[in-house]
Amino acid sequence: MKPLWRVLGLSRARWPWLALGLAVSLASVAAGMALLAQAGATIAAALAGGVLAGGVLLRVLGTARVVLRYTERLVTHDATFRALADLRVWFFRGLAARSAGGLGFRRTGDVLSRLVNDVDALDGLYLRILVPLAAALLALPVLVGVTLALTGPNERLLAAWLGLLLAAAALAVPASAARTARAGAGRLATASAGLRVATLDALTGLREVRAFGGEGRMLAAIQARQAGMLAAQRDLARRSARAGAVAFLCGQAALLGVLIAAGAGGPAMVAVAFLTVAAFEAVGGLPRAGALAGHISVAARRVLDAAEGEHPLPDPRHPAAPPAASGLRFEAVRFRWQPDRPAVFDGLTLDVPQGTRVAILGPSGAGKSSLAALALKVVAPQSGRVLLGGVDVAGLAAADVRARIAWLGQATHLFADTIRANLLLGRPDADEPVLWAALEAARVAEVVRALPDRLDAWVGEAGANFSGGQGRRLALARALLSPAPLLILDEPCAGLDAETERSFYTALNETAQGRTIVLIAHRLTGAERLDRIWRLSAGRAVAAAA
Amino acid sequence: MSEATRPTRVWLRQQTALARRAAAPVAGFGLAGILFAIGQAGCAALALQAALLHRPLAGWPLLAFAGLALARAAVGLLGEQAAAAAGAAARRRLRDSALASLLAAGPALLRRFHSAALAAICVDRVEALDGLFARWAPAAVLAVAGPALVAGALLAADPFAGLVVIGAGLLVPVGMAVAGIGASVASRRQFQALQRLQTRFLDRVRGIATIVLANRAGDEAQALAAAAQELRRRTMRVLRVAFLSSTILDAAMAAALVGLALHYGHALLDGGVERPWRALFALLLVPEFFAPLRAYSAAYQDRLHAETAAQAFVDLPGAPAVAETPPLAVRTVEARGISVAFENVRLTWDPAVGPALDGLSFRLAAAETLVIAGPSGAGKSTILEILLGFVRPDEGRVTLNGAEIATIVPQALMRMTAWIGQRPLLFAGSLRDNVAFARPEATEEEIAEAVRAAQLTAFAESLPHGLDTPIGEGGYGLSGGQAQRVAIARAFLKNAPLLLLDEPTAHLDPATEAEVLESLRRLALGRTVILASHSAAAHAFSGRRIDLRNGRAQAPAERGAA
Repeated sequence: MKPLWRVLGLSRARWPWLALGLAVSLASVAAGMALLAQAGATIAAALAGGVLAGGVLLRVLGTARVVLRYTERLVTHDATFRALADLRVWFFRGLAARSAGGLGFRRTGDVLSRLVNDVDALDGLYLRILVPLAAALLALPVLVGVTLALTGPNERLLAAWLGLLLAAAALAVPASAARTARAGAGRLATASAGLRVATLDALTGLREVRAFGGEGRMLAAIQARQAGMLAAQRDLARRSARAGAVAFLCGQAALLGVLIAAGAGGPAMVAVAFLTVAAFEAVGGLPRAGALAGHISVAARRVLDAAEGEHPLPDPRHPAAPPAASGLRFEAVRFRWQPDRPAVFDGLTLDVPQGTRVAILGPSGAGKSSLAALALKVVAPQSGRVLLGGVDVAGLAAADVRARIAWLGQATHLFADTIRANLLLGRPDADEPVLWAALEAARVAEVVRALPDRLDAWVGEAGANFSGGQGRRLALARALLSPAPLLILDEPCAGLDAETERSFYTALNETAQGRTIVLIAHRLTGAERLDRIWRLSAGRAVAAAA
Repeated sequence: MSEATRPTRVWLRQQTALARRAAAPVAGFGLAGILFAIGQAGCAALALQAALLHRPLAGWPLLAFAGLALARAAVGLLGEQAAAAAGAAARRRLRDSALASLLAAGPALLRRFHSAALAAICVDRVEALDGLFARWAPAAVLAVAGPALVAGALLAADPFAGLVVIGAGLLVPVGMAVAGIGASVASRRQFQALQRLQTRFLDRVRGIATIVLANRAGDEAQALAAAAQELRRRTMRVLRVAFLSSTILDAAMAAALVGLALHYGHALLDGGVERPWRALFALLLVPEFFAPLRAYSAAYQDRLHAETAAQAFVDLPGAPAVAETPPLAVRTVEARGISVAFENVRLTWDPAVGPALDGLSFRLAAAETLVIAGPSGAGKSTILEILLGFVRPDEGRVTLNGAEIATIVPQALMRMTAWIGQRPLLFAGSLRDNVAFARPEATEEEIAEAVRAAQLTAFAESLPHGLDTPIGEGGYGLSGGQAQRVAIARAFLKNAPLLLLDEPTAHLDPATEAEVLESLRRLALGRTVILASHSAAAHAFSGRRIDLRNGRAQAPAERGAA
């Protein structure tokens, strides 16, 4: 349950709202219990005393119950939305601070979407767990107290019986459901992930599957994973149903107790019976909420791990002043992504003086992307130094480093937004002519001009409305827009045909005057104007030509 | 987007009918539970009446009450499990049929859809439909039958109480119609807005590295916060109206309760009721009358979810129409030494773009090599996809050893072709699994031989667990050259007589390309080879050449055969 408290703690700013929601909901539960009890009491009093008592009270309670329920729904939902919005932003900030490199370079979208689902799962915490729990904590003393008050000390045993059963239904059963559900929720998460991977494999590999006649095998693999997931779900549903049944029987046993005691208790017992019905109705959702708590708690743990986990590369306590110069220098850098993986760089020394244009070539797997990751302070070398403008980036704040480097990576993301919004990410204050200039330079202005909405055309999810080459050029335009003095272009022309590639390099020669440019590629076209060419090989850089 | 299209409505109606049928047992258990509840109310009312009139209490109502409670718990348990089972069965059916149609439609799909989007339909969209089958359909049946049952019992016990409850119950649809007409439309729109925000959030998280490295994380976080607050304000505006429908339920129930309590109070005062258990029975049943209506109102969300998901299923591509039974007798072809001929073949993927192949003809004898050159988009891949059986030509004949390709059993066609594309897909599994994908029944020696022939042995030995090292999703990442060698190993293992190569070195650097080409040349020995390429790979293979422009062969230049 610890992660749940931590998540609640994050909503501290919204506590007044959440508390108000709780208060209204408690008032509404109280009115509901009073209404039913009073309805019973009215009849009992009429029969026993020959007077019609509480007619006005009944009407007031009925109205209050309706109004309070409505207010409760509004306030609790409003409070939830406020808290959830905060939570999303907190999650985004936490993830942004920790996973710049992890996400872009290694983690897949699938892991991420699971994290997003986890954040979503947290919305049940307040509405479906905390609010009913508070109702239970109110119903318990009310039920016991009112029973004692109405029936006198003779019925102490009955009051204890009712209290015990209500506590069992509202607290013990949900707690046990939560405990057993937690293991099940873990199994379910693993099973669903398995199903997702198998499905993605089969569909991404449709060509291979068809070419090797693997349809049956792939379908069988998916069905096996699906069966696993359904079994885990069935298990959870059974547990949840069982908890609900046990809680229901608690309520029935309580009512039976009232009926048995009714003979001795007289008319007041009618009110007690109705009150019992109302009290158990108020806590009826809790056993299922218990099962849900197990699931939410697993989700909360994953969310916290992602957004609060160890910072891979914290900023220094007193960051150095950002450098004015924009040269890039690697000094005897040794680097591996993980201790059990082979070294990517083994004594890499490489100099990119300010204002020069340098190409770094090498076969796939030679560490070209790792070079960018080191420069952008996404990862740190195990030994050696990376210098930006003569200052070791280890001593700089990551934000200062990234403000001075514009980067176009292989995995650069196009957002499901307009072209304009995508471009402004590179330079928020850019005006229309500047945007068009960047599009021209990236050789994509013609495409955009042909669109009916031009700059306001929708890019689609991950650039789906454009071809791979066009999307690549949009990303390139965004990188070119950035005012940063150092430009790192990682395979900027991957997926472009030779003619466009050549024309892009010609444009780059003209537009990026005065900037330091690092061009990472596996081959050159000849159109690039370069000051120096390095070749990566065996974890080191070798000067290839001047 | 906001209005459901006609096919969507049809699809939804079909699924709803199926869901109703599947919900029958759940609704049956629910109705049994309501019957038992009515019995319990009767027992409880009798017991309380005895207390009120200070008469001795008979034992049987209490025993019956307890027995009915147990029975109710049992049907509740069974009903819940039946509901879960109905949801699971429906999801299994929908997922299997979606996957079957996607696998049947085959690789041609990937020209129009992103595989992740297709996978999302098969996984997430199907899951989102659970509520329609497990909750909404039974609730919809019970929302009518349940109150009717309770009202019937009340009418029998005390016609006045029955009429009051029915009157209050009728208030519910009338009131909902008045307050809810706007609300249901608005809540549908709101539901979509909420999903859009969710999508936006997911999109920003996917691209978080791009945002962070552009130093814009703070701004984006603020924009997300602003969007969420704006959505909250708009949602609350809608909810203020939407909650009215639940409030009408509450109000109807409170009115029935208060009205009945006051009515019986007066009647008892006037001495007009000789059997007060009727009053208690009626009051105890009021919550039971409204419970199914509440459950139905709570399940309305599930219906909205289903509507959103429905669109995706309707848009799901079915198997192509041409994949009907071939008109000619199905046959197999001798799988040794394959000759290939295209005669005046035409194929159009997208009429707006024009034909991909526009009357292409060529012949290729067994064990010959054909290099198809030409810029991207000239139709090179289309030729290979026809030979792989991914797609059929609109016009013209394609024959293998003289047999028209449409008449060859897909299994036989699959056995005689091996294919290597631009980026081979590595499945989640070990390196060995990935090679053996080409022929699952291959022996250990055969796999080792294929790995050796593809020059993958040294790489495999450098891995922490050799051939058993997990690769693909969540495993060890392979470079482009290494992945291509896995594809070559698969082709060696498959040992098919017709080898189709689609730009096999397009994404490799020159050094790796040379090595991969060396392996490919050895693979090509003794096989019929068709190579589509616009790069250096074209020159690595000697053989006949076709230059493809706009789906036609341009001056097919003969080059000396090896």
